[in-house]
Order: sequence, then C-alpha cells, then structure tokens
Amino acid sequence: MADSAGTTLMDLITADPTPAPGSQSSTSASGAMPPPPPPSALGKPVHTERKSKRTTLMQIQADTVSAAKAALHPVRTNIIPQRQKKKPVSYSQLARSIHELAATSDQKSSQKQLVHHVFPKLAVYNSVDPSLAPSLLMLNQQCEDRTVLRYVYYYLARILSDTSAQGLSSGGGIPTPNWDALADIDAVGGVTRADVVPRIVNQLTAEALNADVEFHARRLQALKALTYAPSSNSEILSTLYDIVFGILDKVADAPQKRKKGVFGNKGGDKESIIRSNLQYAALSALRRLPLDPGNPAFLHRAVQGVSFADPVAVRHALEILSELATKDPYAVAMALVAWVFYESGALQDVLHLHDVLARVALARLCYTISRARALDERPDIRSQFNSVLYQLLLDPSERVCFEAILCVLGKFDNAERTEERAAGWYRLTREILKLPEAPSISSKESNTGSKDGLPPKATKDKSQKTRRPQPLIKLVMRRLESSFRNFSRPVLHSAARVVQEMGKSRAAAFALGIQDIDEGAHVNTFSETADSLDTDGYENSHSEGVRRTTSMSNGAGGKDTVASLLASLMEVVRTTVACECVFVRAMVIKALIWMQSPHESLDELKSIIASELSDPAWPAALLNDVLLTLHARFKATPDMAVTLLEIARIFATKVPGKIDADVLQLLWKTCLVGAGPDGKHTALEAVTIVLDLPPPQPGSMLGLTSIDRVSASDPKSALALQRLVQAAVWFLGENANYAASEYAWESATPPGTALMMLDADKMVAAASSRNPTLASAMTRLQRCAFSGSWEVRIVAAQALTTLAIRSGEPFRLQIFEFLQALAQGGVQSQLSDVHVSNGEDQGASGTGIGVLISPMLKVLDEMYGAQDELIKDIRNHDNMKKEWTDEELKKLYETHERLLDLVSLFCYVPRAKYLPLGPISAKLIDIYRTRHNISATSGLSDPAVATGISDLVYESKPASAEPDALDDDLVNAWAANLGDDGLWGKNAPAMNRVNEFLAGAGTDAPDVEEENIISRPSVSYDDLWAKTLLETSEMEEDDARSSGTSSPESTGSVETSISSHFGGMNYPSLFSSRPSGYGTSQSSERPAASRFSNSSTGGPSSMYEGLGSPIREEPPPYTSPSRQRYESFENPLAGGGSQSFGSLDEERVSSGNPQFGTALYDFTAGGDDELNLTAGEEVEIDYEVDGWFYVKKKRPGRDGKMAGLVPVLYVSQS
Amino acid sequence: MLLAVLFANSEGNILVERFSGVPAEERLHWRSFLVKLGADNLKGVKNEELLVACHKSVYIVYTVLGDVSIYVVGKDEYDELALAEVIFVIISSVKDVCGKPPTERLFLDKYGKICLCLDEIVWKGMLENADKDRIRRLTRLKPPTEF
Repeated sequence: MADSAGTTLMDLITADPTPAPGSQSSTSASGAMPPPPPPSALGKPVHTERKSKRTTLMQIQADTVSAAKAALHPVRTNIIPQRQKKKPVSYSQLARSIHELAATSDQKSSQKQLVHHVFPKLAVYNSVDPSLAPSLLMLNQQCEDRTVLRYVYYYLARILSDTSAQGLSSGGGIPTPNWDALADIDAVGGVTRADVVPRIVNQLTAEALNADVEFHARRLQALKALTYAPSSNSEILSTLYDIVFGILDKVADAPQKRKKGVFGNKGGDKESIIRSNLQYAALSALRRLPLDPGNPAFLHRAVQGVSFADPVAVRHALEILSELATKDPYAVAMALVAWVFYESGALQDVLHLHDVLARVALARLCYTISRARALDERPDIRSQFNSVLYQLLLDPSERVCFEAILCVLGKFDNAERTEERAAGWYRLTREILKLPEAPSISSKESNTGSKDGLPPKATKDKSQKTRRPQPLIKLVMRRLESSFRNFSRPVLHSAARVVQEMGKSRAAAFALGIQDIDEGAHVNTFSETADSLDTDGYENSHSEGVRRTTSMSNGAGGKDTVASLLASLMEVVRTTVACECVFVRAMVIKALIWMQSPHESLDELKSIIASELSDPAWPAALLNDVLLTLHARFKATPDMAVTLLEIARIFATKVPGKIDADVLQLLWKTCLVGAGPDGKHTALEAVTIVLDLPPPQPGSMLGLTSIDRVSASDPKSALALQRLVQAAVWFLGENANYAASEYAWESATPPGTALMMLDADKMVAAASSRNPTLASAMTRLQRCAFSGSWEVRIVAAQALTTLAIRSGEPFRLQIFEFLQALAQGGVQSQLSDVHVSNGEDQGASGTGIGVLISPMLKVLDEMYGAQDELIKDIRNHDNMKKEWTDEELKKLYETHERLLDLVSLFCYVPRAKYLPLGPISAKLIDIYRTRHNISATSGLSDPAVATGISDLVYESKPASAEPDALDDDLVNAWAANLGDDGLWGKNAPAMNRVNEFLAGAGTDAPDVEEENIISRPSVSYDDLWAKTLLETSEMEEDDARSSGTSSPESTGSVETSISSHFGGMNYPSLFSSRPSGYGTSQSSERPAASRFSNSSTGGPSSMYEGLGSPIREEPPPYTSPSRQRYESFENPLAGGGSQSFGSLDEERVSSGNPQFGTALYDFTAGGDDELNLTAGEEVEIDYEVDGWFYVKKKRPGRDGKMAGLVPVLYVSQS
Repeated sequence: MLLAVLFANSEGNILVERFSGVPAEERLHWRSFLVKLGADNLKGVKNEELLVACHKSVYIVYTVLGDVSIYVVGKDEYDELALAEVIFVIISSVKDVCGKPPTERLFLDKYGKICLCLDEIVWKGMLENADKDRIRRLTRLKPPTEF
C-alpha cells in the first residue's frame, strides 16, 4: 500500500499528466524544472522506484556519499540541469541539491531553487536522511530567506522526531530506508541520527534562548522543533524544561492585558505582543512535554496561562490544568482559586474565548474539580466550578455544549461508574442554572457585559427571561432538539451520541433505584426556597450558582415534565433515522436503544430497526456494534432481557449474514442468565423465535428446506441464517433445562414407569401443564428435527437427546417416543426388503438422521430397561423379604456407572446427582457407596473415578486393568471449571469483543472487511463438519481403539473428543460446566494424548478398527446383524454422528470384542425384550446382563425382531 | 488525540498522511479503511460537506475539496465536532495556499506549503493553530501575532 501510494506520489510529483495552467510560473514544480523534462522521461521515476530494495538502498547511499563529497568540494555548482535532463528527480538528487545549494545559500537563485523545488519534493519522502542535517544547519545559520528557514526548521524537526526505525515516523509518503542502518553499512561516510541530533539540539537550543526581539519568530520555531525530540531522552527533556520555564519566568509574571478581540490584535504595543507570542510558544511547548504533577512551578505556570492573551496559549493552559486536575484536583483548584478568581476573573473570560477547544478543556476542568472528593471540605469551590460548567451549557458551539452535557451526565472518560452516571442523571433532571446577575456581587468588572460576545442560542440576551433560572434539563433538551435539526452530519452524530450517553446515565439512575426519580415531576418549578438560598451564598465573588430545588411538587400545573421533554426529544431523534449516513443512523439507533425504557412499548423501536436493517448499505462492523450495544443495555437494565432479545431477533432475521453469531449467542446466554426466575421462560421464547425464521413460507416452516432456492438469491445470508438456526437449536438443547428449572435429578416426578401407561396425548398434556417452558422448547426442537435442513436436524436430534437425558418424566418419555418414531420408520422400510437400499437411509420421514438417533435411542432404551429391571428386582426382594446382597448391589452400581458413562457421552450431567436408574435407585446406590467407601460426589471431578482407579479397585473386568490414560491435570481443570459459570470467561472470542466494547476501548485499526463469513477466525459449524468428515478415518481409528476397552477412561476420551468437536463453536451453554474451556487447547489436546496412550494397549482391538470405520475399503458386510453399524456404514454423511456414536455402542460390548455364538436350543421369548431363538441360529452377543445375553441376529426372525435378551445357557459362545 | 490526517486523490492514492499515536502496523489498515470509506461515500458530495464515521471509539470526519479528499481521525476529546473544527482549519488553509479548491496538480504544486501548514495546524497529535492568518504568518516564519 505504502509502496504503491508512494510510487504514485512520485509519479505525480515528477510527471505532469495535465499541464497545469500556471506551469509557466515559477511556482509550478515540474514546469520550472530547468529544462522541463521531456514527456518521454515521465515514466522514469517509476522504474527507479521499482528497483529492488537492495539496489535502491545502495544507490541512494552511493549518491548521498558522493553528494556529500561534492558538497565538501563545491567545484561543480551548477550540475543539476544536466543531470535532470537524463534522470527524473530522485531522493539522492534532492539530497545532493540541498548540499550544493546550502553552500550557495546567499544567492537568490539558490534560495528560489530550494523553496520551490527541493524542499517541497523532499516533503514527499517518509523521513529525512540525517546526513542532510549538516547542510540544513548550515542553511539555518547562513540563510536569510524566511521561507527557506521555515523549511529548515520543518526538516530539522523531522530528523529529531524520526525514531530511526523505518516507517515509524509520522511522515507518510514515499518510504525511505533506515538511514542509520544504511550509514552503518558504509563505515566511512555514514552519518547516523546519533551523530547529528546533538548538533541539531545544540543549535536549536541556542536559538530558543536567543532573547533578541527581532529573532523571536525564529525562536518560536526553534522551540517548536525541539519539542519533536523524543521524550525518552531525558537530557533534551530537561533542556526543554529549562528553556520553557526560562521564557515563562520572563514573560508570564507581567500584568496581563486581555483584549477583547483576541485575534489580529493590532492595537497592542510591540512589547506586550512579543510577550504574548513567547507565552504562546512556551505553553505550547509545555503542553507537549510530559506532565509533571508534583511540580508547583509547572502548576503555577499553567494557572498563569489561563489569563494569557494568546487564545491558543490559554487553551494549552486549560488542557494542562484539566489533565493535572485528574491527578491532583485539590492542588489545581486551590491554585486556580488563588490566581484566577481573586486576580482576574479569568475563567469567566475563557467562556468568551473564541477557541472552542479551550472551552472544552474548561468544561472538563470544571467537571473534574467540581466532582473531586478531595474538595469535599470546600463546597464553595466546587460550586464555583460547577456553575461555570453549567454556564457552558449555553455555549454557542455544539462541541462545548455537548462536552458540558456529557460532564453533567457524569461521562468523562471511558471508565463507566454507575454511581457517577446516576448522579449525573439526577443533576440533569433536578438542577437549575442561574445566570449571573448583571451587577455582580463581586468587585470584578470583567463580568459586566460578559454576555456580549455570546448570546445563548435558545434565549434572548439581556432580556428578563435570560436572567430567569433555567432548569438544566430544559436547556439541554432544547439544545439537543435544535442540534437534531442541523444538517451537518458530525453534529447529528454527536447529538445522537449525547442522547445515548443520556440514556446510559438514565439507565444507571434507574438501576441504582435513585429515589425521587419521578419523570412525571414538573421541571419548571423554581421555587422560592431556592431563591432564598441566594443569601447564604458562598464567599465567592460570583453569584451565579446552582440551587438544588428541594421540592418539585409546588409547580403550577401545565408545566413540562421530564417525561414530556424526553418524549419530544425522542420524537426528533427518531426522525433523524432518515439521515442518509449509516453512521449517524447507527448512532441514533444506539441512542434509541439506550433511551428505551423497560416499561415503554417496543413496537416503534422494533419497526425502526427492522426497516433500517433492510438497507443493504449497513456495514457489518456497525451492525455488530449495535448488537454489542444491546449487550451493554442489558447489563445496565437486566429487566430488558426480553425486549433486547426481540431486537436481537430482528438482526437475526434481517441480516443474518452480517452479524457475528458468537456475539448473538452470548447475548442470548447473558439475557437468559440475567432474566431472573420469572423472565427465563420469555427469554427462552425470544431465543427460540429465531427458529421460526424466516417468516413461514408456503410449504416450509423454516424456509431452509428450500435452501437451494435461497442460496441462489443470496448464498451468504442463507448460510449465515442456517448457522444461526443451528446455534439457536443448540442453545435451546443446552439451556432449556436451565430455563425451565427442570432437571431429572431434581424432579419430584415419580419414576417413569408410573407414566408408562399414559397414552401420548395425555403425556403431552401432562408435560405442558407441568412445565410449559420445557414443553414448548421441546415442541420447537421436534419441529426442527422434522423439517430443518440436515444440519439443523442433526443438531435438533442432539438437542432433544440432551433434553431427554436431563429432564425428568414425562419429558424424557415423550422425547423417547418422538425419536423412536423418527428413527423406526426407516428401519422398517429397510427391513421390508422391498426397497433396495441405495446406500442411504432415509429414515421414517426422510429426515435421514436415523443413524444418528439410534445410539441416542439406545441410551434411553437402556435407561428404561435398567429402570424396569431395577423395579423388578426391588419387587422381588420385597416379595421375598430378602436383603440385597453385596453382589446384587455391586451389579446395580455397575449398571448405574455404566449408564452414567453412556449418558455423559451425550451431554454433561452432574455425576454425583444423576440417577440413570431413577430416583428409587438412590437408596440402594447409597448403601453400596457407603459400604465400599465410594464418595458420593465422585464423578468426573473425582480423579479416582475419572481415571478409572475406582474401577481398578471395584471392578473385576480385566480390560480396565490398563493404566489410566486421562491426565490428572485435565480432570482437575474440569473440576475447577465445574463451579464456574464461565459467563464472563476470557476465552470466548465474542466475550473479548463485548468486554472491549463495554470498556469503551477499541482504537485499533479497522479491518476493511470483505464481509466474508467463511474467513472468520472462529471455527464455523460447517467447518467442523467438514473437518469431521475429513478426519473421520483417523478419528474412527482412535475411537475404535479406545472402545476396545470399556473402562470409563476410554469413555472420557470419547467425551472429550466430542466436546472438542463442538468446542470450536463456542456455543454457550449454561448448563455445561466448562463453556469457556470449550475448544481450548486443553480439552482438545489432552484427549489426543490419552488416545495415544490408549493405542498402546488397544492392540487387540485392531480388528475392530476396520469394522468401526465408515471409510472401509472392503464392502460393508451386509451380514452384520447390527442395524446400527449397518447404517453407519451406509451413511458417511453423518460422519460426526456415526463416528462418535458408533464407537459408543461398541462401548457397551462388555468384553470389548464382538462375540459370536450359536443357539443351542430353541427359545421362546417370554417378554417384549426377549428374543426368539432357533437352535443352530448364529447370533452376535452384545453384552451379558444377569445371566442373560443381549444378542443380535443376522437377519430378523419370524417375529421381525432382530435383537433381544436370551438366557446365557441357551447360547454357546464361539 | 488526533490520530491521523490524511489527504488522498480521487483514485484513493494517498498524497499526505500524518499519523500520531498509531502503531506502524495499524497504519495500513487505517489507510485502506479510510480510502474505502471515501470510495463508498464521497461520490457526488459537495466540496467541504462533512461526512462522519466511527469505528469503535474512534471518530472520522472526512470531506472532499476539489480533487482531494481529506480525512481526519481522532479519539477522546477529538470527537466528531472537534474533528470538524480541525478539518475546517485544514480546508481553509489549503484553500488559502491554493487559492481555490485544489486540483490534484495544484495540490502537488503546493505540496511543500501544505506540509508546512499542516505542521502548524497539527502538532504532535494535537490541534495547534486554528486561525488561517496566523497559520499563514507562521509558515512564513513570522510571529503568530504581529505588531
């Protein structure tokens, strides 16, 4: 960029595409170049510039050196014309010219050459070669021409400021090499900055100390150039301080004569003008020097500066003071009071200064002092400054007035202090500006006629009305309203910003519940009580003051109220949305969001935002800024969660492609957490509404089934919308239980069996009456599982499973039934053999996620089966009045643990509390635990369990005898995170953005965004799936290995691999214990390690790897009895699912290897879960339970069943 | 802090730039951001009509003057309105130097003078002189207030 710009610049400055009208005159650079270069040579500079850097460097160096030599022996003085005939002007030529012309600087022609050709062209370059310094200094001493000298100061300053590293100078333009490095290459003639800076500083210092009157203009420039020296050099710094204070000692103490007309002060005598010039130069230099808070001289001079005649000097003085005041308000206030108020009334004069920034600095100074805690003892001083601040509200300049408003509102810097903001709103709505009386109590004449130069906009000067005290709020509102009628975009933008800040202060006031904020109160009541306060005025010389009206109630009817004033202001603000500048509109929308109170109707704001967002002109960065504003608004007023979510929904609808899904999700999550127990339902509803997006089209609820059509029109936003829907579905699955406060382990519902008998309709009714939040979330998810795009359906199925696992009855059962319906149809069609499978399982409804659902179903199935079993056992024991033996308890406990492991594959559950066997198992498991000293809180947080040590002790399975593969660190990291909500965690990228936004930070450079979603650094959902597909074979291998053993540790590794899959998405989950840890290196790297260690022991299962992998080279065995695996072979599309869940069902093979057997006898099934066997039939043994084998046949029997329980003795294991 | 003053021609080539307090690696971003901003918005804009933009807490005010577009970037006390003041000063000085809204050629012819003016207007990231006559005097090495 810099190169190209530079080339162009060079191009432009040497070439002349369009002959300038004045090219004959000597002012035109190229025209005056003697002789003018022929057109054919115009392109040449480009070639020069395009030379390789190395050669350019060398050339410049050689040229510079030879030029320096030439300068030392000025034999050929007039060589330039010939040179330029051949070559266009280059840096080395410029340098040479300077050297040569410096030697002849007394000649008029040389001066002309310098001023018109050499110096302007040199300005194009990024930095100035230090080797030019000697010539420049020579010019500085010898040349008389003012313009030449001015350039010399300019370039000397640039040499001083150059921080030697290339490109760091502020110059811009054509890049120049690193001069010092260049000088180092050539040890003979090289001149480095270090060589010349002392010389420059010395000479400039001498000039800056020159008290000659005729010299003082140069003195000023010398001082200015000196300030460019890097402030890290303490020597130069102290020299500068000496000079500045030396000047001020001479010129500051003289009595000041402030003139009315500050500029073009022709009437003054020479002496005072020179003094004022020097004062200006000294203060300007002082302003550029580092602050010296503890130094009384520094403070003293700055305070004196307030009454200087030069307006810029006054501005600098005030700026220095306002900065000092933030550090030591007491000292500044005391010094100011001592100097200004009793000496000259200068602060009042500043009010009428023409310099806008001076008045801005005054506002900040007054604010800092009037709010200083250190001045609690001196309310008189504080009120003096306060009153000046309030007078600035009448300032004709918007910049000053707005600064004053912001100060009143408590917005000073980026630090947000809620109390200060709230107090600011209180001040604005309650306080009253009383203008100065015409004859001031003070003896200062300076106040009389002070209104001359400054008629307040809204009021008539000198009329009785002006004198009437004005409530601040009215002044401010009137001013803002008139600003919104301005045509200037900066004014509109900043007025909107002020309104936004007002909204922030107001929100803070409401949040703190400041009493007495009654916006219906009349503001126009300046009561007698306030007047009476006049008499007890402070000692200060100024009578204007602000009186707090103690009672607002005595106003007459029909007066303005804060609410009505606000309403009329907001009306004007809203019309500003029509501005054609998006930045102004964005600011207006932010202002509206901030001014929106939780109790008002939202419709107007919503329709404004909706219509705004339809405008394609909005850049993504701006929209995300508005989204972040919603975040900030929520933090200020948690009550508004639902409102804000509805607004956020508009963003999701209208501009899915432009907003950051991470930020949106974070907003959902924050709102859900902050909504409080009552608001959770509505908050969740607001999130789920996203699922209905876009507005229903004929034939589809989500509009995503027609994804092809949508993508044809706008693929980017279709994709983005899909991502959003996925995110919403995921969010729903993760957080619905939280929102509904429904957890299986806290459920009071009797065990599921009791509800088994209910039919589906009754179940739904029961569910929705019990917990409408959860019921509605479930309904939405079910709809998504049916009708979304396949990505959405997958996530929906996963979300439903999560819901099923975490919820108690009847929800679990309901989901179970639903999933079964979803999966089973496909199975039946497959089994009927009518359709020849084309390798893809369509599922019952064509959802194509049967393969994904079946492992989920199995888990639920197992849970129900185990529950039934348990109940049966309990009944048996009860009937036989038998105690539970340790063996039985152990079996029960193992089932419990096994189910826990299974369940943990799908979603996080608290292992200590979760009871997959239903609440009734709690007692028995407790008994077993106490008997065997297993901690009840054991779970993932317990290293013993997590690492499989407990299994080593209590289990006899040989497979688990391998060393623990799960790192303790990992377990601990998890455990540490368990209690952490992680809401404001550091890891989420969205979080950083939000925090940065809230802190008001962010001055870093913008990216010129291509609005490309794909290129966003965070891993997108699609990327993940793609990645999963690509990595399937490898992952499969790993998982198959780990599934070769059934110890919990392998479970853990599978789980972590899942979590790392989804981790990259950073989906916020309230439930999950480690949202912030998702996808971090820990959870993604550790499992890899654990898998690695697994593989060492996983040797025997290598045969399994082939089976488990969907990307097998040999054809899938259609003889495999496992429907599930069959599907997973056929459906590589569901890579992620089949990969993680496929390994899961192998998990259940207790021995780790598939076992086959032959039926010894015929067996007739005695129950639904049992399986008919014919003698001689071959079966695959899945696992053993209580003397029963769970077996699978290779083809369905006469009854159509493929798998079920058979007695162990009926099967011979092969 | 006045972060940047930048002049570009109508094709988006940068003619003058003055950065202060912007890390070198961010300057490239700013350049392209500003040029893109101008390319998107400055078409058909009248001379000296001020446009506004913001990025996070940084404000940008920009305008077009003849063939040249001018961008001013600031933060903190240099908000939109302060930047508007700054850009007014710059505009009036450039017009003062060039005598009229400059063509690109004219601007380059007066390049040195404009640099000197800029030097008087912006001093180490702060607005210095705001009065056009005063600036003219200072660029000729005369005292700010003459007697």
